[in-house]
Amino acid sequence: FRYKDSLAEDLGRADLVISHAGAGSCLETLEKGKPLVVVINEKLMNNHQLELAKQLHRDGHVFCCNCSTLAETLQSMDLSTLKPFAPGQPEKFALFLDKVVGFQ
Amino acid sequence: TGGHTTEILRLLSCLSESYSPRHYIFANSDKMSEAKIRSFEQKRAETFPNPQFTLDSIPRSREVRQSWTSSVVTTLYSMLYSLHLTCKRKPDLILCNGPGTCVPVCISALLLGLLGMKRAIIVYVESICRVETLSLSGKILYYFSDYFIVQWPDLKEKYPKSVYLGRIV
Repeated sequence: FRYKDSLAEDLGRADLVISHAGAGSCLETLEKGKPLVVVINEKLMNNHQLELAKQLHRDGHVFCCNCSTLAETLQSMDLSTLKPFAPGQPEKFALFLDKVVGFQ
Repeated sequence: TGGHTTEILRLLSCLSESYSPRHYIFANSDKMSEAKIRSFEQKRAETFPNPQFTLDSIPRSREVRQSWTSSVVTTLYSMLYSLHLTCKRKPDLILCNGPGTCVPVCISALLLGLLGMKRAIIVYVESICRVETLSLSGKILYYFSDYFIVQWPDLKEKYPKSVYLGRIV
């Protein structure tokens, strides 16, 4: 398919996700607890879009590869080495903002 | 736009009822954000009934690949429109997270403050996508916001006046 409003259903049923390095795709997948392989195309992507993918890789949450190494990565990867991705904490932001504004 | 809207709605998700009325501002070329915002407010109304919020769209300062000369005109128009809207809404607090749309609004708020008309607190939260570098909006508003929040430690090191709370979206 070309575009869907939400991939939530498909993500829910997947055992493995292979995706480009877009932030939305990466985060949505990790939040659902699905193993993720990020394929990076250095020629197409702006530098800043890679920042998140690289950090997620450094933190051990995703596997990274490029188009030519994808097959090899899929064959040799060990999904059990992936570290779980803790969700963000908007409560911390709320606490901070309450102090700033004076609601305590 | 898209990812920015999703992030900002997550930031709003834990705010108390005291943060009311909420005035949402988005680019008039952005068709999806309005739907996401309405959906968010609808859900929120289940816990906090009688929500007070407004939705306004503003013209974008510049479209991708727009020529320099016409960009000057559209940026000026955008700025004036934002000034008018900010005067109308008179916010106490401005919360933004990086789309180009937020810069004219924040500048308007600063102007209103300088003119002694209304002093808004400006809180800027850089996107979670920004791990090592700031967006253009971020680079500008780092100096003009009251609180500048980053979500990765690298940025806290590079921009010492920023606030680091960890990942908050």
